[in-house]
Amino acid sequence: MILAVLFANSVGNILVERFFGVPAEERLHWRSFLVKLGADNLKGVKNEELLVACHKSVYIVYTVLGDVSIFVVGKDEYDELALSEVIFVITSAVKDVCGKPPTERLFLDKYGRICLCLDEIVWTGLLENTEKDRIKRMIRLKPPTEF
Amino acid sequence: MAQPLVKKDDDLDDEAEYSPFLGIEKGAVLQDARVFNDPQLDPRRCSQVITKLLYLLNQGETFTKVEATEVFFAVTKLFQSRDLGLRRMVYLMIKEISPSADEVIIVTSSLMKDMNSKTDMYRANAIRVLCRITDGTLLTQIERYLKQAIVDKNPVVASAALVSGIHLLQTNPEIVKRWSNEVQEAVQSRAALVQFHALALLHQIRQNDRLAVSKLVTTLTKGSVRSPLAQCLLIRYTNQVICESTGNAQTGERPFYDYLESCLRHKSEMVIFEAARAITELNGVTSRELTPAITVLQLFLSSSKPVLRFAAVRTLNKVAMTHPMAVTNCNIDMESLISDQNRSIATLAITTLLKTGNESSVDRLMKQITNFMSDIADEFKIVVVEAIRSLCLKFPLKYRALMNFLSNILREEGGFEYKKAIVDSVVILIRDIPDAKESGLLHLCEFIEDCEFTYLSTQILHFLGIEGPKTSDPSKYIRYIYNRVHLENSTVRASAVSTLAKFGAAVESLKPRIFVLLRRCLFDSDDEVRDRATLYLNMLGADGTIVETGEDANGFLFGSLDIPLVNLETSLKNYVPSDEPFDISSVPREVKVQSLAEKKASSKKPSGLDAPPAGPTATVNAYERILSSISEFSSFGKLFKSSAPVELTEAGTEYAVNVVKHIFDRHLVFQYNCTNTIQEQLLENITVIADSSEAEDFAEVASKPLRSLPYDSPGQTFLAFEKPEGVPAVGKFSNVLRFIVKEVDPSTGEAEDDGVEDEYQLEDLEVVTGDYMQKVGVSNFRNAWEHMDPDSERVDEYGLGPRESLVEAVNAVINLLGMQPCEGTEVVPSNSRSHTCLLSGVFIGNVRVLVRLSFGIDGQKEVAMKLGVRSDDESISDAIHEIVASG
Repeated sequence: MILAVLFANSVGNILVERFFGVPAEERLHWRSFLVKLGADNLKGVKNEELLVACHKSVYIVYTVLGDVSIFVVGKDEYDELALSEVIFVITSAVKDVCGKPPTERLFLDKYGRICLCLDEIVWTGLLENTEKDRIKRMIRLKPPTEF
Repeated sequence: MAQPLVKKDDDLDDEAEYSPFLGIEKGAVLQDARVFNDPQLDPRRCSQVITKLLYLLNQGETFTKVEATEVFFAVTKLFQSRDLGLRRMVYLMIKEISPSADEVIIVTSSLMKDMNSKTDMYRANAIRVLCRITDGTLLTQIERYLKQAIVDKNPVVASAALVSGIHLLQTNPEIVKRWSNEVQEAVQSRAALVQFHALALLHQIRQNDRLAVSKLVTTLTKGSVRSPLAQCLLIRYTNQVICESTGNAQTGERPFYDYLESCLRHKSEMVIFEAARAITELNGVTSRELTPAITVLQLFLSSSKPVLRFAAVRTLNKVAMTHPMAVTNCNIDMESLISDQNRSIATLAITTLLKTGNESSVDRLMKQITNFMSDIADEFKIVVVEAIRSLCLKFPLKYRALMNFLSNILREEGGFEYKKAIVDSVVILIRDIPDAKESGLLHLCEFIEDCEFTYLSTQILHFLGIEGPKTSDPSKYIRYIYNRVHLENSTVRASAVSTLAKFGAAVESLKPRIFVLLRRCLFDSDDEVRDRATLYLNMLGADGTIVETGEDANGFLFGSLDIPLVNLETSLKNYVPSDEPFDISSVPREVKVQSLAEKKASSKKPSGLDAPPAGPTATVNAYERILSSISEFSSFGKLFKSSAPVELTEAGTEYAVNVVKHIFDRHLVFQYNCTNTIQEQLLENITVIADSSEAEDFAEVASKPLRSLPYDSPGQTFLAFEKPEGVPAVGKFSNVLRFIVKEVDPSTGEAEDDGVEDEYQLEDLEVVTGDYMQKVGVSNFRNAWEHMDPDSERVDEYGLGPRESLVEAVNAVINLLGMQPCEGTEVVPSNSRSHTCLLSGVFIGNVRVLVRLSFGIDGQKEVAMKLGVRSDDESISDAIHEIVASG
């Protein structure tokens, strides 16, 4: 199960936070844990370079894209490799929507479409779509090209 | 007024001001949402408002019930618009609000219409929304459409239905299970993602049917699974099937191993890794099976992708716990990971190396770790410290380098948990490696000179008080201890006073000087410190009345409080202040054994200072206390050994009974620990009747029944036997539990007055020669062996017959002899065909025994063993051979 997808800006403010099956009282803990993890490790990291950590039986894969840090948390079948697949889809979709690694402003400008992309990629904790071109079409309600 | 023109690039710092959501307020956005009600909808404007609503929700903002209902009703109006972008937003918004059951009806018809629409994408999205908000009744109405959708030509529609199915399986399993045929068809789909989702759903539907899962795996492993994600799932399911099957006993072949092995050559790294991990997790994996998996993991260690490096080193770390030798080939690659930017990877690499490294690589490894420690977080440092502790216990000769490392990191900055981990490690090393004692104590002394944690200072002072006086020059520790009296807070000062007193009591030559120091403490500002100083001065005879420290003083200073703290606490709470002083002898001494629930909750993590002395010794002390409090056993002398508890009942039966065998020189005591697991019963007058007809050397001399055994509150009953002095007598006892059972009224908890006598058959219990052997290790086996008389050596060879593996044979002999394995020789490398194991122990009568075992296994799994024994007494060397010959 994918437990969380979280986007934060360069100073650790949350831009998007989506939790799946995580009780409300634990979310704050996760949010601060992830933001601290990013603050400790993401300095000087190149765009899309993946970092990985595990916390108890939960895996975290995170990266930087432009001004935005992206965290994906999962457990069980969503281990570090599956999560790297998920984060790869997310970063490609965000780049596609923004046209480049986004600044915070650009990210917020495209906020609605990014939310739609996330909705196509992760559906209540399960990976649903993995190809950015298909996602690009689907958020405009266009059928996939290969069909 | 005209604004001065500012070049945009110069103003990058103010970029936050450009944020489209700057100053966003929930109230204002909810107000904006009224545009959804306009007769002439503006799709662009509506999309903007929905984006703002999503932004609020994604920031963790919540809507009240009324607000959510209002937004939901307004959003449903947007179904009138034909704008595709807006419709997509509407679907997302409805899912985010998740309307309540009574509101869902408003959108059901619109969504049902979309679900049957000719536009595929409407269908896919409507399915997802409906499944998110639906309940059981609505589901039966739309089931027909969902089944069609699963086999829809459009992969997006099929995936939407399948993923919805995975979610619905949690809430409406009966309905989803009816879709089996369609899902089965979808597994054959040409679309990769559909296959992935279908496989996941099909497995979940059938997960409780072993045969069906096995069939599914058999079919799919032969065919072609397109998606790497689906392939990974299949590997996991295959692994599960392998674990549940027994394999082909004759050929030794494992079903599906070839499939896993072929996946190691897949083009997707994810699949390769999954297969490698699956192989490493196989039960009783052989080195032949393991080799190809380790090879690919080794390649991943030098991958440019951090995730792959992490995954590989994490898996190898696990393998190192069971098959350290299999991982040694990867050591060089792993050493280069110590400098990995990703600290999680570096830590895993270090801890793996510490597990697989040999004695000669310790120094090199320590050098690398020293550079690495400064830039990792405390949580990682703790992992490293724990790994170093185990390494030091494995290679005691290397204690100097490892102890130096620990003392260096002790001086550096760090939080409480980290410092505690280091101090615990130093304490454990001092206890287990005698040579390390003096240097270890000095490191601890230096640490308390500048320690900011009161807890650690007091614990170290306590430990110093016990170990310091036994060293060659106890006086050198006094300075560090007395400094505490000047420089620390009152808690530490009080501890320091107690420690000083212990030195005074134990070392006669230091006594006069200790008196001088203790007298100075009489003027301390804290009353506890003054009280302790006064008490100790009187007790040690500072007024000149007593010249030598008496038994009482030693018992008071060094003896443990022989009353359970819980009992003392309860008694103190119940004590009502009066003219009569509190009498400590009135506190009950009976140890309340952990209840069932507590037992389950307690962890087995070894600790240093928390429970001094560590593990088994503490248990032995507790046993000694219990036995000495029973008058019938008080004349038995010193307890030689207590065995680990042996279960006499199966798990889950009405009464749980285990027994601990206590060995004395001329006696044997069985301590039966009984637990009553039936809430409606109270047991009374519980005894165990042991038939010793197959244990002729033993004669029953005493029995201590248990008066009462209420539900889930364990109690003990004892039986004592006499046996020939110093002789390792053996025999078999059959046991019956006899008691009076009384019914308990569950509502009031009161038992009936009348009870019925009853019996309960327990398992038989054996006393074996191994029970007379204490596990006592030596730090340097070779030295100890050479210092023993070669004439006492007895060597012979034995055939152990066919065995499952070398590991099994080695463990069987270690358990049979009941001795302590030395220098980590109990770990058998996975691929080896021969192995040497070193054991040490003390046999009853205080006879030291050392054993050298050499094993060899041939192609038919026949194990041969050479046994060499040296001991203080030749007859014991012969006795050890007899144990093996008869075992």
